[in-house]
Amino acid sequence: MVGDQTILFATGTAMLLLGIAAIAMSRNLVKTMMAFQVAVFGANLSLFAAGLGFQFECSSLGICIGDTFVVLSILVGAAVEAVGLAIVVLVYKRYGTLDPSKVRRLKN
Amino acid sequence: MASELTAVLLSAALIGTALAALFSKKVSNSLIALFYTSIVLGVAFTVYGDALVGLLTMVTFAGAVSVLLLAVILITGESNLDIGARRLALGLSALTILVGVASFSDLFSGGSPSNISDVSLNVLNFAWQSRPWDLLILVVVLSGAMVGVVHLLGGDQ
Repeated sequence: MVGDQTILFATGTAMLLLGIAAIAMSRNLVKTMMAFQVAVFGANLSLFAAGLGFQFECSSLGICIGDTFVVLSILVGAAVEAVGLAIVVLVYKRYGTLDPSKVRRLKN
Repeated sequence: MASELTAVLLSAALIGTALAALFSKKVSNSLIALFYTSIVLGVAFTVYGDALVGLLTMVTFAGAVSVLLLAVILITGESNLDIGARRLALGLSALTILVGVASFSDLFSGGSPSNISDVSLNVLNFAWQSRPWDLLILVVVLSGAMVGVVHLLGGDQ
């Protein structure tokens, strides 16, 4: 019998791999950021599933050690997403395109 | 703890909405699918006894980051929903309202929701016991915001 933890962990890993693959294949910077968000979701779910096995490591408020990592990952992911979207807007205003293969003057 | 069937259903919903978000042709459809991925992920965290992380996921990703993505889509002019997609999205929003109202309807009798039985954080107990109208208003506001987003993206550019 496959447990809940295994199912959630497999789902999180699949979402992480899907997000990374979509980042590699994407031709649109906005969709690249969406793929990054899916990868963050997968990482969060994997961390949460890993924390389900450590329910004894909880504080008196019921906050477990896995939850701490998930909250940290959510905050870091949201911050990176905001910065990335700001860069996408700047790239669009500067180059007039969202195709990363057409943006070849970044080093200048 | 939830059953394995719940885990399988949540996993299927997560993978399905993530695939729809990643491989949809139009960016606006991807945004809508990503919104539902955030909601399903928050529901998964809540069902497995971590209401704080579920709430944080919904507020951060389904709320703030979705609005950021919407602003970027509008700035870059990537939005072009056709009528069929708009009707589908409006149908999904109506379904969200129905499911939300049905899920929280038993709170009005004073009981706790049947599918959320392992809420371990005492700080959030008020949400499940004595504030049903606030939760209903939250669901309606979220669904209304989604309908507004669909109408905004459905306009001609």
